[in-house]
Amino acid sequence: MIKRLRVLAPLIAACAAAGSALAAAPEPWRLGFQAAASPVMERISEFHNLLLVIITGITVFVLGLMVYVALRFNEKSNPVPSKTTHNTVLEVLWTAVPVVILMVIAVPSFKLLYFMDRAQNAEMTIKVIGHQWYWSYEYPDHGNFTFDSLMVPDDELKDGQPRLLAVDNKVVLPIDTDIRILLTSDDVLHAWAVPALITKLDAVPGRINETWMRINREGTYYGQCSELCGVNHGFMPVAVEAVSKETFQAWVKTANKEFARADSDALQVAETGTGAR
Amino acid sequence: MANARRRNGLIAGALFVVAGGMVGMAFAAVPLYQLFCQVTGYGGTPRIGVSEKPVAAGDRTITVRFDANVNSTLPWKFRPAQKEMTVRLGETVLAHFVARNVSAEPIVGTATFNVTPFKAGPYFSKVECFCFTEQSLDPGQEVAMPVSFYVDPEIHADPGTREIRTITLSYTFFRAVGDPGGTGKGAAGTDQNLLSTDKGSTRLAIAVGSIGNRIGKR
Amino acid sequence: MAYGASATAHDAHEHIPTGWRRWLYSTNHKDIGTMYMVLAMIGGVVGGAMSWFIRLELAVPGIQYIDDFQFYNVLVTAHGLIMVFFVVMPALIGGFGNWIVPLMIGAPDMAFPRMNNISFWLLAAALILLVTAALIGGGPGTGWTVYPPLSNAEYHPGPAVDFAILSLHLAGASSLLGAINFITTILNMRAPGMTLHRMPLFVWSILVTAFLLLLAMPVLAGALTMLLTDRNFGTSFFDAAGGGDPILWQHLFWFFGHPEVYIMILPGFGVISQVVSTFSRKPVFGYLGMAYAMVSIGVIGFIVWAHHMYTVGLDVDTRAYFVAATLVIAVPTGIKIFSWIATMWGGSIRFDTPMLWAMGFIALFVVGGVTGLVLANAGVNTAVHDTYYVVAHFHYVLSLGAVFSIFTAFYYWIGKMTGRQYPETLGRIHFWLTFVSVNLLFFPMHFLGLQGMPRRIPDYADAYAGWNLVSSFGALLTALATVLFFYIVYRTFTAGEKVAANPWGEGATTLEWTVESPAPFHTHEEIPAMGRRQPAE
Repeated sequence: MIKRLRVLAPLIAACAAAGSALAAAPEPWRLGFQAAASPVMERISEFHNLLLVIITGITVFVLGLMVYVALRFNEKSNPVPSKTTHNTVLEVLWTAVPVVILMVIAVPSFKLLYFMDRAQNAEMTIKVIGHQWYWSYEYPDHGNFTFDSLMVPDDELKDGQPRLLAVDNKVVLPIDTDIRILLTSDDVLHAWAVPALITKLDAVPGRINETWMRINREGTYYGQCSELCGVNHGFMPVAVEAVSKETFQAWVKTANKEFARADSDALQVAETGTGAR
Repeated sequence: MANARRRNGLIAGALFVVAGGMVGMAFAAVPLYQLFCQVTGYGGTPRIGVSEKPVAAGDRTITVRFDANVNSTLPWKFRPAQKEMTVRLGETVLAHFVARNVSAEPIVGTATFNVTPFKAGPYFSKVECFCFTEQSLDPGQEVAMPVSFYVDPEIHADPGTREIRTITLSYTFFRAVGDPGGTGKGAAGTDQNLLSTDKGSTRLAIAVGSIGNRIGKR
Repeated sequence: MAYGASATAHDAHEHIPTGWRRWLYSTNHKDIGTMYMVLAMIGGVVGGAMSWFIRLELAVPGIQYIDDFQFYNVLVTAHGLIMVFFVVMPALIGGFGNWIVPLMIGAPDMAFPRMNNISFWLLAAALILLVTAALIGGGPGTGWTVYPPLSNAEYHPGPAVDFAILSLHLAGASSLLGAINFITTILNMRAPGMTLHRMPLFVWSILVTAFLLLLAMPVLAGALTMLLTDRNFGTSFFDAAGGGDPILWQHLFWFFGHPEVYIMILPGFGVISQVVSTFSRKPVFGYLGMAYAMVSIGVIGFIVWAHHMYTVGLDVDTRAYFVAATLVIAVPTGIKIFSWIATMWGGSIRFDTPMLWAMGFIALFVVGGVTGLVLANAGVNTAVHDTYYVVAHFHYVLSLGAVFSIFTAFYYWIGKMTGRQYPETLGRIHFWLTFVSVNLLFFPMHFLGLQGMPRRIPDYADAYAGWNLVSSFGALLTALATVLFFYIVYRTFTAGEKVAANPWGEGATTLEWTVESPAPFHTHEEIPAMGRRQPAE
């Protein structure tokens, strides 16, 4: 029965590891979340740490009871079974205590939920459009230019680019700015997700979804499509490059020259089958 | 024994009725869901306030942004004529979207729409809108599509929506189901499909006539 | 496990059909139960092979064997559908439910024996259709949730998805008929003296499950019909271009889908209650609380569906409601866990193989349950939605929960079914090997998910390599354990010891232990007297 305890070891380790190193991309053998880089993700990490303590406590308690029962009430230690089938106090207790625990969970949970939903008076807006199988981005407040962002195939990777996560055109965003994200899809459902920034929202054709984010520090943040969208679902990553506000303005200037306008009159031919593999 | 068998039959019969009722509920969910969304503004569905009198305009304002999408199966260009507007609460205002058919054939399109944040849906009322009908555009034709709307001042009375300063109104144009050039369903181009195209054009003529906002062919 | 020893079961009253007629035309609850179990075993091998293939592909980064990603998606889809509809449900409901429920309530057979036969053969046809779907026209690469627009004709042309839909239609009709049969049997055919509040908890669990099926399956059938007409007859229920809404599908699907997960686990709860009571040599603690905990889990199961949809863009108040409703489920689930432990408390526990599996079930179900508590919160859910964390969660409650309860039931009742006992030592080795290997297999998935590794991808970023390798190693060990299981089945039939009517002693108080082993072709033709044999109260 002692072997059941092995279930717990990684849980406790995960607890200890949460929030240790700073990561904007997944790391080998990591146990917890990627390091938070947005106010929402910080709160989620915090709340998850609370949950981890609670659920580890519950698991240890139940497994501890089972180990005790196995040692104390086995055939040898307790040859004559009791006939107890009721204990009102106990039954009320194990209904009431979970309710209290749930309250402890629910209060911060709702706080977090409403904080995440807070309609920000965003300083800028970007629009993200999911396609089979790449993302395209529009910057309506900065000249309304648009570009597609495709995964870099394995044989074209440059040094330092993570396989399956690197893209040709990263979506560049300023730090310390409230950014409104509008999200839609041109074909099937997709989900735009960046773990370190905690944005994850489905892209639904014929409907626009809105969320917001604020990036705390510069760096490149990687994520992947998180809703099964067909053959190359695994190969349409998201890469966000967070830069200072000044760098962002400079980038906007070059981007306006480099990329087409989203509402240009030239009909864009939808690129298809760019699955890269 | 015979009695027990009859009771078995009764119970099973009742259960079959329940199961049939659940199938019916599943189908009833389709219109109910749409109705529910329209009435409550759930999921960012704007309310349709055609018959309502605009509520008295207050001093407070809100920014309405406009967003336009075209599904890639529809060779149209579609953009808002204005990026955003600052409107007084309760005031009915008119905005335009511009659509142009860049293909060499007439095409019927149809638009879906919603507002974000979703919780603003119940307070966003559309009085008149191109999205209520299918739209047919001839090759190269460009039209301005009007939408008139108002934002209910109650939006700043509700603690849940008080902090909203910006509402985004978004449209997505699709090739209408049944349009003969469509790549999706109904692409076979049967007589029935052609018929529905005609119907779409007729409806558009009425819509355009009533609004009188046609920019004309390019 | 064929009904092997039946030839020795003489029956004076009626002729036992022989040969293929006995099975094809069977109206006997035991034979039909046996056929369900054989079907579940076939499904288990097919669905298991698919998952091992997936783990093989994911063992190391890069593309190993599956360079056709549509095929990978088909594997993921078919694995899910087969495990749900053709392994867990037929094993627990069709198999053990059919075999044991009439024995436990003192009924000679199910209320509608012919309908029972139809239920089974519909399911067999459904399995054939599903396998056909996977082999033709590129296969259904939609995930078991079949979300449109991906499942629309535009993105999945060809007959594969249509076949899958028809297969689910048949499987749904099969479960629906089965559910009606079980409800009628349990409500109307109990032995005198067996009131509802005296029924064994396994019967209670099947009754609640049958009601869930009755209410959930028709909704799936309706939604599938709409999808089918969307695909083939030009309707636009779920197509935005025609005024439909793809999100409506998700509402309908999960209105079925969430009760469906309780449909899979509730019979398991019933099995565990019987086994824990038997081997602790004590009646179930808090019998009524246990029964009504299952009822309330079933009821709440219908009002929490949108917690599968936190990221589709639901309005915040809606999400808040579903968080609250979902958290409430923890209360009746907690009652069940603590009542099992209280049943063991003060008992005189014998750790035979079924009891090991039952305790393993409780331990792993707690782990899966508490991660469910995490997932219920819409905020944290955003971080782990559609990642391997979710995969770990539902495999802990289903693969380790429901499947552990199937093994529990197998070791508990196999003596009653075949008249031969399983080899005890091998059974215990099977348990420990499975227990260790499934934890190796599924626990690392929590870490992958927290870091953000998405579900349903055929290749992953190099940083995820370590835990994926551990997981695949666990899958290899699980495969070994499964081979061992089939060897145990073989040994049971060929060399198992003959067992008496009640091999488990005083703790086994339910009616199935009063008939001889193997249970004869016809049982309880004379109505058994309840006396003081009732489980509790």
